[in-house]
Amino acid sequence: MPAELKDLAQLREMALPIAGETMVNMGPQHPSTHGVLNFLLVTDGEVMHRAIPHVGYLHRGMEKLAEEVPYHGYMPFTDRLDYLAAMSANQGYAMAVEKLLGCGVPPRAEWLRLIACELNRIASHLVATGTMAMDLGAFTPFIHWLREREVINDLTEALCGSRLTYHYLRIGGVGYDLPAGFADRTLRWLDHFEPMIDEFDRLISHNEIFVARLANVSPIGAAMAIDYGLVGPNLRASGVDWDLRRDLAYSVYPECQFEVPLGRGYRGVVGDCYDRFVVRVLEIRESCRLLRQAFERLPEGEIQAKVGRKLKLPAGEAYARVEAPRGEMGFYLVSDGGESPYRLKVRTGSFSAMSIIEALSHGLMIADLVALIGSLDVIAPEVDR
Amino acid sequence: MRLYFNRIARSASATLEGLAVTLSWVFRRPCTVQWPDKIDKPLEETLPERFRGILEVEVRVCTGCQACERTCPIGCILVRTERNAQTKERFITGFAIDAAKCMYCGLCVEACPTGAIRHTTQFAGATTDLGRLVLRYVPEGTRVVPYKPSAEPPAGLAPRGSLAAAHLRQCFPDTKEGAR
Amino acid sequence: MWELVRTVAGQGPVPWYYGAAAALLSAGVLLGFASAFAGLASFVERRIAARMMSRVGPNRVGPQGLFQFMADGIKLITKEDLFPEGHDPILFRIAPYFVFAGMLGTFVALPFSARLIAADLNVGVLYVVAITSLVVVGIILGGWSSNSKWALFGGLRSAAQIVSYEIPVGMAILCVVLLTGGLSTQSIIAAQGGMPWNWFACHSPFAAMAFVVYLIAALAEGNRTPFDLPEAESELVAGYCTEYSGFRFVVFFFAEWANLWIMSAIATVCFLGGWRIPLVSVAETYAHGYWVALGCLVFAGKTLALVFVVIQVRWTLPRLRLDQMMAVCWKYLIPIAFVAVLGTMTWMVLLPWDSALGKALRGVVFLATLGLLGHLARRTVATYRADAAHYSRMAGQSLWYAPWRLP
Repeated sequence: MPAELKDLAQLREMALPIAGETMVNMGPQHPSTHGVLNFLLVTDGEVMHRAIPHVGYLHRGMEKLAEEVPYHGYMPFTDRLDYLAAMSANQGYAMAVEKLLGCGVPPRAEWLRLIACELNRIASHLVATGTMAMDLGAFTPFIHWLREREVINDLTEALCGSRLTYHYLRIGGVGYDLPAGFADRTLRWLDHFEPMIDEFDRLISHNEIFVARLANVSPIGAAMAIDYGLVGPNLRASGVDWDLRRDLAYSVYPECQFEVPLGRGYRGVVGDCYDRFVVRVLEIRESCRLLRQAFERLPEGEIQAKVGRKLKLPAGEAYARVEAPRGEMGFYLVSDGGESPYRLKVRTGSFSAMSIIEALSHGLMIADLVALIGSLDVIAPEVDR
Repeated sequence: MRLYFNRIARSASATLEGLAVTLSWVFRRPCTVQWPDKIDKPLEETLPERFRGILEVEVRVCTGCQACERTCPIGCILVRTERNAQTKERFITGFAIDAAKCMYCGLCVEACPTGAIRHTTQFAGATTDLGRLVLRYVPEGTRVVPYKPSAEPPAGLAPRGSLAAAHLRQCFPDTKEGAR
Repeated sequence: MWELVRTVAGQGPVPWYYGAAAALLSAGVLLGFASAFAGLASFVERRIAARMMSRVGPNRVGPQGLFQFMADGIKLITKEDLFPEGHDPILFRIAPYFVFAGMLGTFVALPFSARLIAADLNVGVLYVVAITSLVVVGIILGGWSSNSKWALFGGLRSAAQIVSYEIPVGMAILCVVLLTGGLSTQSIIAAQGGMPWNWFACHSPFAAMAFVVYLIAALAEGNRTPFDLPEAESELVAGYCTEYSGFRFVVFFFAEWANLWIMSAIATVCFLGGWRIPLVSVAETYAHGYWVALGCLVFAGKTLALVFVVIQVRWTLPRLRLDQMMAVCWKYLIPIAFVAVLGTMTWMVLLPWDSALGKALRGVVFLATLGLLGHLARRTVATYRADAAHYSRMAGQSLWYAPWRLP
């Protein structure tokens, strides 16, 4: 397929069904797609022949907006690039600007960033695993996870004033210091939450029906994952040992001890949907470990380096990558010396995940497609920006 | 053959475990907060200090510097000033915040030198007419003298949240909430 | 019901209008009961499901939310009566009523107590199994007449599911029929005893297997999770009832809720001793009015306990995919049901009901079931305890919240 933008009519023409096939639209509004995603399914009623993703319904021009808005002012916009991973998006943007600016981040701010990002990672994975269970018909585990996520929301509300679009990380540090009693509150919640993960496992992860729905469904081999540019838990579930927190060693992650869970074919084949699910649950446990270490080792000090109110970056370009819950988020910043970026390009993990769906869709049943999309943890705002 | 019976045994035990978990939840405290019917005090009073709710302006300590208007990345603040050519006096003649457009980022609050503009814990602004969400903190036709930071702060400043609450009543004019 | 007719008409041939009046009266009573149960079941399910999810459930419409189902019903009835383009005018309209008739017809043979049965057919359970097959006709008609490919596929799949699972249902009930020696529902109940170890579910390990097979197959018959692919996801929409709206949709879902009662009631009648009261013989129950009333309460209690189990299973387990559902039926349930039938026959021959060894082994099976329930209770308490201390440290209040407490 030539690499041009195609609109819906052209896509339909290209995938005209032959006799015995039907084309159905898994439309932008659908209970099982995570966000506003559209798939054109060519199926013979039982089994799919192709599933063509059609994206762009949530395109808001975030990258173009960056060219109009000053550097400090764009930070709240990065919250909305992926609303479930707002802290990581903030961090990626801040790191890109700090690279060009050449300013450092105080140690306390780095540790606070780690705390914020890991809390956010837990919250995001709660939604990811919960919605996977919900798509497969088990509503209860999702609601239990939302209950835990409410506590995380309360914690971030106390920390920065907002429950979803945090605008917590700033250029040069973080925006607010920990409020009184925050560490105690978070640790008490962690004491309550870690056994809840075991309970979640007993309720749904080890449930035979759940395993039967996910194991051996759409296995993605390591080579295919790398070819399609998968990142994050999707990549690690295929057996590729790559985690930016450990391998690229940004922020204060090198000073922490944590494991990187890999897919091992826990109940099926390496890289199937069940592996992607289990990797996320294990990552929640690792993030809890990281949080405990961070609270123990949090140093005193400033929370933000001195950067001006009005930032004018020197001309140049910088690329910063962070390990967001959905994988690597890359921010490519080009500055021409002005108050706003000349160009900001964001590279997200969900975009690659959308592209692999078509390749995997041949021979899949529609119920499996729902499981596949859920396991790849595709979030529409990340895909379309 | 063994796999067959294994599967049956595993399914049965997994189902039993799941049933035990859901049954245990029937005895646990629900996490629902039944707002607004069954709460002790209004939610606005229980939210943390830093909560970034609907903005309000205590115009009596506003210096008219328009820093908030310039910092806002989305352009939801409009401050109108007037200068008397003879007496060289400046007046603030309008301060409108479009609460519908605001993205509650807090940049304006950080830019303000006196803390005149601030987030409140108000969050209830659902209305049927979007125009009612433009909160005008300087009434039409009045002129406010800008505050000089070196001077004493005026007495009787409105407590945080009261101005926003008063202005938000315009959002629901015909309901009993409007009289709340 | 026939007894009532006899007492009114006296001995001798009964004029036709007495029979007709009795039939209409009993149909009205059963319809009222089915409606009330369907509505209240939808409400109670939402409340139970909510507590399992750490929520409260609907509690605003009416006292404690009791009128929620009426509000839902009124909303659905006042919706526009849509007809899809190209629909079959007659079949589209009558399809819901086949489903409804298939469901309501089974109430006739349900023995609510010793003398409370609309018609004590001597082919009771066979009639019940047969009339529930009418539902399949309604589903296929609904799918076909909607003039939508997806509705058709959904309808055919749902029909395939229901038809397949009728076989394990039939075979599980066959075990019970073998034990009773007759098909009449009252005779099945009379053949069981009042005490739990005299129920058919505890008769032998094979009968216990038949009980479990029946429960699973009945879930599939009623399109309940984990077998609800036809209504939840099938072809991305709601399957055979996609194109229905308003009152016709209500009729389809009315049938599903009332089916909750039916599947539990048949299980109670066949396996849990129906309205048999412990320590009271059948003859005495028939004789006195107060025993009849108590029997009715016993029947309702057992049925509602099973309804609770069905509701809990729905909110615990995820959905099976269609091919997995078919595999469960044909590869697991049917062989197990066969084994159950053969085993029951062997057990009946080798260990008659009244022999000492038979009674002892019945006691053993009963204790084994108690053990299973005790294991469930222990796991429940352990799960609760694992969280209680941490939760009260975190939230500052106790984790305990009685299930009967109405928030």
